[in-house]
Amino acid sequence: MRSADAPTTRELAQRLLTHEGVETGPAITDMQAVCRVCDKLRRPLTTLAGAAGFRSLLARALTLAKQESPVLSAWEVQADGSLQGLNGEAAQSGGVLIAHLIGLMITFIGESLTLRLLHDVWLDLPDSEINFERNESK
Amino acid sequence: MNEQSKVKIKQLPTGVPGLDEILGGGLPEFSFNIIAGSPGCGKTTLAHQFIFANATVERPALYFTVLGEPALKMLRYQQQFTFFDAAKLNNAVRFVNLSQDLVEHGLEGVLEEISRQVEAANPSIVVVDSFRTVLRSELHEGKDMAVQTFVQQLALLLTSWEATTFLIGEYSESEVRDNPVFTVADGLFWLFQQVDRNSVVRKMQIMKLRGQASVPGLHTFRITEAGLQAFSRTLGLLGQRKTFTSVKRLSMGIPALDEMMGGGVPEGDSLLIAGSSGTGKSLIATQFLAAGIRAGEPGIAAVFEERPNEYTARASEFGLDLQTPLAEGSLEVIYLRPLDLSVDEMMQEILDAVKRTGAKRLVIDSLAGFEMALAPAFRADFRESLYRMIFALTAIGITILSTLEMPETFTELLFSSYSISFLTDDIIRMRYVEIDGQLSQIMMVVKMRRGAHSREIRQYQITTEGIVIGERLKNYVDLITGIPQPLAVLRSEDQLLNRKV
Repeated sequence: MRSADAPTTRELAQRLLTHEGVETGPAITDMQAVCRVCDKLRRPLTTLAGAAGFRSLLARALTLAKQESPVLSAWEVQADGSLQGLNGEAAQSGGVLIAHLIGLMITFIGESLTLRLLHDVWLDLPDSEINFERNESK
Repeated sequence: MNEQSKVKIKQLPTGVPGLDEILGGGLPEFSFNIIAGSPGCGKTTLAHQFIFANATVERPALYFTVLGEPALKMLRYQQQFTFFDAAKLNNAVRFVNLSQDLVEHGLEGVLEEISRQVEAANPSIVVVDSFRTVLRSELHEGKDMAVQTFVQQLALLLTSWEATTFLIGEYSESEVRDNPVFTVADGLFWLFQQVDRNSVVRKMQIMKLRGQASVPGLHTFRITEAGLQAFSRTLGLLGQRKTFTSVKRLSMGIPALDEMMGGGVPEGDSLLIAGSSGTGKSLIATQFLAAGIRAGEPGIAAVFEERPNEYTARASEFGLDLQTPLAEGSLEVIYLRPLDLSVDEMMQEILDAVKRTGAKRLVIDSLAGFEMALAPAFRADFRESLYRMIFALTAIGITILSTLEMPETFTELLFSSYSISFLTDDIIRMRYVEIDGQLSQIMMVVKMRRGAHSREIRQYQITTEGIVIGERLKNYVDLITGIPQPLAVLRSEDQLLNRKV
């Protein structure tokens, strides 16, 4: 099973999206939340892999996500690493893309370092929110 | 300039076991260093060991990656080493990717970004990996800054900001000349990977180190799950020669042999037991160790042909209990994996065991096994390496007994092969002789550097009690050829000849 397929990775991705939605206010759309999470992951991944490396990782994550959720088929990664073609209907599946991006990080550097990087990005999120343990209360 | 007015250069620990000693105490603080070598020789791992050993949150390490291996992959692999501390990531150890700056703005852009990062982070350590890719001419062609200016400004910047720097690059030795990078550098670490037949050996050389004396020459190193471990050619022992005010004799555990040696082997000597297969060399060595244990002198056996338990089991067949001291820690049996060893690693193992046990006696059984255990590349230097090892170990007061298997000839008596007799203070020779239609064994003390010894050739037997030395064989001549003649026969032949004359 790929790291992205683990329920715990899915839950973490969803928590990050929810957090971005809550942080920015009720007006934010699912689409915007996906973009915000990707943008926040851009900084550590560009540091570790370069701008081109970040784009490659996001493109790979999107390809894997499309296999799972064909509604994402219109989404594209642009040369600068931003997402294009986002539509409202597919945005509900944005969590799949984020899960695959986190899954790729886990594949390359392991859970421990991935969590450390996520903590550094979402400093305002408590530790209990950034982990790979199943959160039964939610 | 007197000692007080000299600037004191602080030495930083490298985090690489053995390397501080090679460097003469550690890496000079604020030095500008290059780690060079071919791909896969351990450059990046060496730099990581250094940063994880020294970086702190207050004075972090900045690790700039350029167009080589991205940090993402570096982290993937480096976290496999035990020195890797995930807790330091992003606070004490920070990665910065310069690829974009280099491609878009050339050397000027790289220097600008490094300056910005250094001023913001106040790092104690800066690594640029790979520096070689930064300098590739096609990348900065047409852009303003010349390579030499860039290197000089970078060195100035990083030294001014009190950072100890490593530039990592895949250079070949032919590039050392006329390269501004090497001119500016304070330290130059060259890592080699040599393939010889089926084995690979790793060596490093400190080609340059300003401000302090490093140990010259090539030093072997190994990469294990703990990272690099270096083995100094001298292990820092050359200056420590122990002087004995009086010569203490150590018992061999065989009273008659002690007597032949003038009271036993002098402490701190190197003794060679040479003989053909089955003559009892290993048994003498075992009795020597057992005698030491009885006298309260811990010992070490370096064996290459059997494992520790097999070694003690064989001793017990001769009534020698080595299992108890082995369990109690006053005896260590070092069994080293064969075929890719270096003498320096062997020495390090022995020195570590000496520290653990306080050993006074060391047995190397056998030199042939030792040589076979070495990687082919090291065999060519066996004699020289053996010399360094024996010199270094006896210098700290260890008495060494080495065994050496000799081919048996019946026309001459070789004292030792390898031309290593000059390395030893004392030599005992054991061999087979034919006496009265039977294969017998004789022993003689050939050389004792520090005292008188018996000139007798004595018969001996291997019994369940160990070696039992008999009387001098007075009634034969040509014993050392292996085919002696009874004196009585010779006398009668003489008489016969005299009558004829």
